[in-house]
Amino acid sequence: MASQRIFQLGLRRAAAPGLRVQPAGRMVQRRLAATEHASQNQAAEILAKQRIARPVSPHLSIYKPQITSVASSLNRITGITLSGALYIFGIAYLAAPYTGWHLETQSMVAAVAAWPMAVKMGVKAFFAFPFFFHSLNGVRHLAWDVGVGFKNQQVIRSGWAVVALTAVGSIYYTFIG
Amino acid sequence: MASIMRPGLLRQACTKPAASPRMLSTITTTSTINRPLAQQLRPAFQRSVMPKSTRIAAFHATQRNQLLPPLPQKILGTVNDPAPVPNPDYAHGSYHWSFERIVSAGLIPLTIAPFAAGSLNPLTDSILCALLVVHSHIGFESCIIDYFPKARVPLVRTISMWALRIGTLTLGVALYSFETNDVGITEAVARLWHA
Repeated sequence: MASQRIFQLGLRRAAAPGLRVQPAGRMVQRRLAATEHASQNQAAEILAKQRIARPVSPHLSIYKPQITSVASSLNRITGITLSGALYIFGIAYLAAPYTGWHLETQSMVAAVAAWPMAVKMGVKAFFAFPFFFHSLNGVRHLAWDVGVGFKNQQVIRSGWAVVALTAVGSIYYTFIG
Repeated sequence: MASIMRPGLLRQACTKPAASPRMLSTITTTSTINRPLAQQLRPAFQRSVMPKSTRIAAFHATQRNQLLPPLPQKILGTVNDPAPVPNPDYAHGSYHWSFERIVSAGLIPLTIAPFAAGSLNPLTDSILCALLVVHSHIGFESCIIDYFPKARVPLVRTISMWALRIGTLTLGVALYSFETNDVGITEAVARLWHA
């Protein structure tokens, strides 16, 4: 719009060169709001306050769940599950002599053997699914690390292949193996 | 309120000067000039029919999600400061990365071997344990680095890092003890699985 206005101004000047343009007439805009000087620190404080009121970027929930992202986060979750179990067992095993727990293999086997079938299968499934998923998906990650299977189509296919193999392997080892 | 104070709004009440001597003043005869360009480009009916507040509200339709609200803000340095460049160190980059991959890749044959052979070797079992400890430590470490950034939660970061180091050391001692005093991790898992 500014260019239009300047063009207009030029035209008027050309048409009436005698007309003196006043920079601003008696109707000049007056700002009646008071301003006060803020020091460097005060200004930084004001800015910091304003920044807290800024909108926060949207989170993961704005993305459509896809095999690529879901498999990646599951890889971490399953890894934490397995390693967490290992850490808990290790710490408990060292603490066992002092707490009176029996975590030697023989007593653990005896304890597990006394569990009902459903509990046994539940615990087996709890470890089998993460184990197979993390192992198979880990192979997928290692393949990417050497630069294999990077095309979008390949990534999606290998992702679903891992899901299928995980289901087969863990169901077999939960109920049969 | 400031707009009410503007004398420009009173201009209908004032008599207009004949030859517009106010051409450079900020008050203009056409009010469109003060509006943003996007509004001027809209169809005329939209401008006149829809109230201004509704048109602006449409921009802010996204729900505010306070999952990670902003922290107390600090402004460090100025806009013209260059980005800090960390000192180059081989151990921070590719060597570290390769080491992680070698550990991960090493776990594959060590996991498959007892399944395939149907028997176990104390040596491979102990190597498996050692690699599991390293692999788990690296995994937990990257989780801590990802979810507890130093700039955001420095104390939680330090505490969890030390907890992890102590936990890993404890696990190492525990697995050594389990390997030497008990049947070893592979055999234990196999027996528990068929219990």
